[in-house]
Amino acid sequence: MTASTRMRRVTVITVLLAALLLSMVLAVALGAVSVGAGEILRAAGRAITGEPRAPGDAVIVDIRLPRVVLAALVGACLAAAGVLYQALFRNPLADPYILGMSSGAGLGAVIALTLTASATALRFGVVPAGAFAGAVLTIFLVVKLASLRGALDVTSLLLAGVAISYALSAITSFVMVFFRESMASVVFWMMGGLTAASWSYVLMVIPMLVLGLAVPMTSTRELNLMLLGEERAGELGLDAERYKRALLGSGALLVAGAVSVSGLIGFVGLMTPHMARLIVGPDHRLLLPASTIGGAIVMVLADLVARTALAPVEIPVGIVTAFVGAPFFIWLLVRRKDHR
Amino acid sequence: MSSQLSYVNASVGYPGITVVRGATLDVSAGEVVGLIGPNGAGKSTLLRAVTGGARLSEGSISLGGNLLETLDVNRRARFVGVVPQQVGATFAFTALEFVLMGRHPHLGRLQHAGAHDIDIAEHVMERTDTLRLAAEPVDTLSGGDLQRLALAQALAQEPSVLLLDEATSHLDLNHRLQVLDLVRDLADGGLAVLAVFHDLDLAARFSDRIGVVATGVLEPAGAPASVITADLLARVFGVRAVVRPEVVTGSVSVTPVLREGAVSGDRDGRVLVVGGSGTAAGLLRRLHLEGYDVMVAALNRGDVDQAVAETLGLERVDLPAFGEVDGEAEEVVSCLAARADAIVVCEVPFGRANLGNLRALGKAASRMVFVGKMGPERDFSDGAATALAGDLLAHGAITVADIDEAHAEIVRLTEHAPARSPDP
Repeated sequence: MTASTRMRRVTVITVLLAALLLSMVLAVALGAVSVGAGEILRAAGRAITGEPRAPGDAVIVDIRLPRVVLAALVGACLAAAGVLYQALFRNPLADPYILGMSSGAGLGAVIALTLTASATALRFGVVPAGAFAGAVLTIFLVVKLASLRGALDVTSLLLAGVAISYALSAITSFVMVFFRESMASVVFWMMGGLTAASWSYVLMVIPMLVLGLAVPMTSTRELNLMLLGEERAGELGLDAERYKRALLGSGALLVAGAVSVSGLIGFVGLMTPHMARLIVGPDHRLLLPASTIGGAIVMVLADLVARTALAPVEIPVGIVTAFVGAPFFIWLLVRRKDHR
Repeated sequence: MSSQLSYVNASVGYPGITVVRGATLDVSAGEVVGLIGPNGAGKSTLLRAVTGGARLSEGSISLGGNLLETLDVNRRARFVGVVPQQVGATFAFTALEFVLMGRHPHLGRLQHAGAHDIDIAEHVMERTDTLRLAAEPVDTLSGGDLQRLALAQALAQEPSVLLLDEATSHLDLNHRLQVLDLVRDLADGGLAVLAVFHDLDLAARFSDRIGVVATGVLEPAGAPASVITADLLARVFGVRAVVRPEVVTGSVSVTPVLREGAVSGDRDGRVLVVGGSGTAAGLLRRLHLEGYDVMVAALNRGDVDQAVAETLGLERVDLPAFGEVDGEAEEVVSCLAARADAIVVCEVPFGRANLGNLRALGKAASRMVFVGKMGPERDFSDGAATALAGDLLAHGAITVADIDEAHAEIVRLTEHAPARSPDP
């Protein structure tokens, strides 16, 4: 808008990126074996330039680094999706997990996993595709169900999300019973974890993040208009129906990206946009990038806690986010009541 | 001036239901057209059909000569701005950011509001008296502030047509007039305005023409005074009302007297009321609602009490404007008095013109109630009225302090008096 807001935008994003880098270095450094920041940078440098590895590089380059990068990407996907759904439904309680989309993507991914159990090579294409299909179908179902009684209000949206979520979990369990041999790994994956992280996972999720962000990042003005409601957005010159579909698709891509590599991780998509909104305000030009980077930071730190809090036992990261996120959700719900 | 918004035989509604059928209306540049009608008649639907909130199923709507379906959403938003009934603001944009959203149709993809847009936003905020709120978060503002901001937002679109859907419903009296004066001003500057009103007085005051929407039909629009009539109010709203010229602004003013079917009382008895200049209007309505058979002594046409009596359909004696109660009228009033169980003389001044009303009551003193004392401040007949009243009081008439006491007397008189001679 004006020079000062542009300055502010650059400053906020620079600070957040620096914080992300810092938290990533911290996450790589800490663990069963602690390594120094200098060592991390040198190992990363050797990996990039193709120099022969020093002993100890393997831990950094093959285990910790992909996991931390993956955590950042997953967090970015979830938080960005949260921003999109909160704008779309004009509802600060919307989040891919609460709307049932994570479950939908999960079911899609589980089906894809079981179908391709013997053909590992196929998985990297089929699992995200399955997750995407699951996410799209779910959000379609949830919105249809929630608008059966007329206007799409908060309560019916949340109820529909919960109902569909339960149904999908049941179907997922049903599928798992039939494929007992893969059950243990699927269960652990469903709880939300990054233990299986690898560079191939990273490569799988990057295109989904980029594609998922393409539309919203280039239409932040339109995202702002959606906050006024679809009819008003239309009056102000936005083809809301078409734009809504594009956003739903983008959100589904982001959710599918996160779910296919890390299972069901809740509340990051809910909390992060809220924290970001408190700091940068409601304008999506700043809110969307800030939440995306913020989500990456939150996830990197949550995974660090998951790995180290009860070491050597590792907690699934979904449990860590739920520990923080569920009370936050309740707080939001209570505050909303006061507001009315 | 040229037609900016035109409906031709347009049927509008929602999937599966047509709300208004076959509407035809032209709104020209420089003109304010008001839409009135009962709740749910389809006024808002007519507006929403222009901006895609409702569906056009038959006929056509055009904006600036372009058929609606040939305009994409963005181009349409440069033609027409809307101020909705209710403005939602759940997120904490500042008022300025909120108004700048109105610049959306003028900005390219990836372009954000620049200095030019901010100039426009600040200009329209100044005109809508919201500039001082520029830095306030909209979710902390009152409904009235929001509504004026929504108007500013619509004006920031720089439209040639403005649609107002009861846009002043949340405003206080001052801001209501301020906003409508502004709208009038903008229309005089070439804007075409189509506005839904619930308040008929405001509709009459600010519209050049008024269209009535009732039972799914838009009636041909016409000048306010020719459209807003007692007949229309009875037919469309089911309300009996006095419609009189509004003296200050030269428009019309509507005073609803009663709803059709509102008479619920079962009181018996005939009451003759002598009034004038509004001294009797309230009592007439009250007695009528209670079920009394109300008669009214001679009144001039144009008198408020006469208008109310006419609206209520009461038995009465009408005189020409500024006419006197002559011998003939006096005769009729005295017949009414003979049939009445109770007679009330309201606190009206008496002069040569209406002295006949008092003279006609000579034989009915025992059933008579005066509201207030007769004296020099009410008597403009050189003492004749005071003398007549004194005579009546001497023969059994009584004086009470106000209308309420008079009403109590009426109740007493109609209860105890035996039924008078039946109606001829």
